[in-house]
Amino acid sequence: MLWLWIVVGVVVVLGVVFVLGYNRLVRLRNEVDTGWANIDVQLQRRSDLIPNLVEAVRGYAAHERAVFDEVTKARAALQHAAGPGAAAEANEGLTVALGRLFAVAEAYPDLKASENFLQLQNDLTDTEDKISAARRYYNSTVMHFNTAIQSIPWVLVAKPLGFRDREFFSAAGDTELPQVSFSQAT
Amino acid sequence: MTLQQQIRSNRFRSGIVVLGFALLLLVLAGLIGLVLDVSLAIIVLAIAAAYGLFGLLSSRSMIAGMTGAQPLGPEDLKPLRRLVDNVSIGAGLPVTPELRIVDDPAPNAFAAGLRPAKSYVGVTTGLLQAMPKRELEAVIAHEISHIRNRDTYLMTMAVVFAGVIALIADIGFRSIAYGGRSRKAGGLVVVLAVVGFILAPFAALLLRMSLSRRREYLADAGAAEILSDPEAMALALRRLELDPTTIRYGNTSTAHLWVESPTDRVDSMRNGVLELSSWFNTHPPVKARIAALEDAGGFRLPERLPADTPFAAELGLDA
Repeated sequence: MLWLWIVVGVVVVLGVVFVLGYNRLVRLRNEVDTGWANIDVQLQRRSDLIPNLVEAVRGYAAHERAVFDEVTKARAALQHAAGPGAAAEANEGLTVALGRLFAVAEAYPDLKASENFLQLQNDLTDTEDKISAARRYYNSTVMHFNTAIQSIPWVLVAKPLGFRDREFFSAAGDTELPQVSFSQAT
Repeated sequence: MTLQQQIRSNRFRSGIVVLGFALLLLVLAGLIGLVLDVSLAIIVLAIAAAYGLFGLLSSRSMIAGMTGAQPLGPEDLKPLRRLVDNVSIGAGLPVTPELRIVDDPAPNAFAAGLRPAKSYVGVTTGLLQAMPKRELEAVIAHEISHIRNRDTYLMTMAVVFAGVIALIADIGFRSIAYGGRSRKAGGLVVVLAVVGFILAPFAALLLRMSLSRRREYLADAGAAEILSDPEAMALALRRLELDPTTIRYGNTSTAHLWVESPTDRVDSMRNGVLELSSWFNTHPPVKARIAALEDAGGFRLPERLPADTPFAAELGLDA
């Protein structure tokens, strides 16, 4: 009789532990999703600014077609990028293309002084700051989630339960590591 | 201890402190019921609940009134609002808290509001004039972590609880002192009750203060994490520590709100006699907070603070 009670007790305790742990994983996964949505909003905002910016520069430097094409392509790549890794890669590409566009703009003082161009440049900088803030948050949620599903005992059951490692928002060759280094310092 | 562990253990301890408040409340009500009258105990609990509810509901406007924080117009201080926006995105808050300005030369900041969506961050004009962008960001990240960790909620509760306990203890004490005939028990029990009524408000105050101090370490760690830059928070604290001005609105009831304590001076820890008073401080000593950040981030602050331009210049404010 005593054995039966012990078995029942152990099963109940294990059940409670499982439910609590499972709910924690779900919460962490939702945080990752929210974090990704935050980045997505800002990436969308960034690509929405591009056509106006290209138009503004085209008004002064219509013959620089190659640069406009490159920026437009980079923007399309960002809009069609699937998943955080690819999006980070495409976002990096857009930064490079924009760098060239601004280099072109350097040669036209009238353009650089125009109200419209300054405003666009300002908005772009702001969006880039927001992307990097959103990215810090997103990468920290990914780190927490991945750590959780890679730890014992969850590593054994995470896959069957449908929890998969999530991708960091970082391009290849990115030197700025996500949170890990700081959070795991002693 | 890693930051995550620190956050978890802080949360756990805060839970215990809140439990302590609830127990204290029950003990007081029990004492009143035992020594005086059960119906009086129930009435007192009802008054306490009403008082507490009123305190919670009016806290937002009350804090704004006490600190003198002014809301901004839609076109004011845009770069600063942008900065608050970015920090709250980094913290993963769904809504950017409102920004309010306190016209005061002492550099300081606070957070208030029961729910994140209805919270606001107040900064003094002195803060904008003292801090370069990087450190200002850290101070705002500190306040935003208070909001994110629901510290503003917890601390409002704690203040209201402490008030309620003081009120009940007062009622109990007076009833025993002046309502002699209605006493049920006598002798030792009454003495114990009187001692209880006298000590309870101090116990509540102590609980409130220790809760507040833990929250500060947690918010420092949170700020470091939001910006991935623990050094910025430490630099900001050092700058606050070196600043000699104290806030004009320094008031003990709102002291727990600020990033740096407006009431107790930093040097109150220096000699042993004042050690006791540090138990009643709302904030841990700044040096200990800097040391905690240095340990977590694995860096040492430079001897001299960087002489960067204060953010006020970017806002076009006069120095």
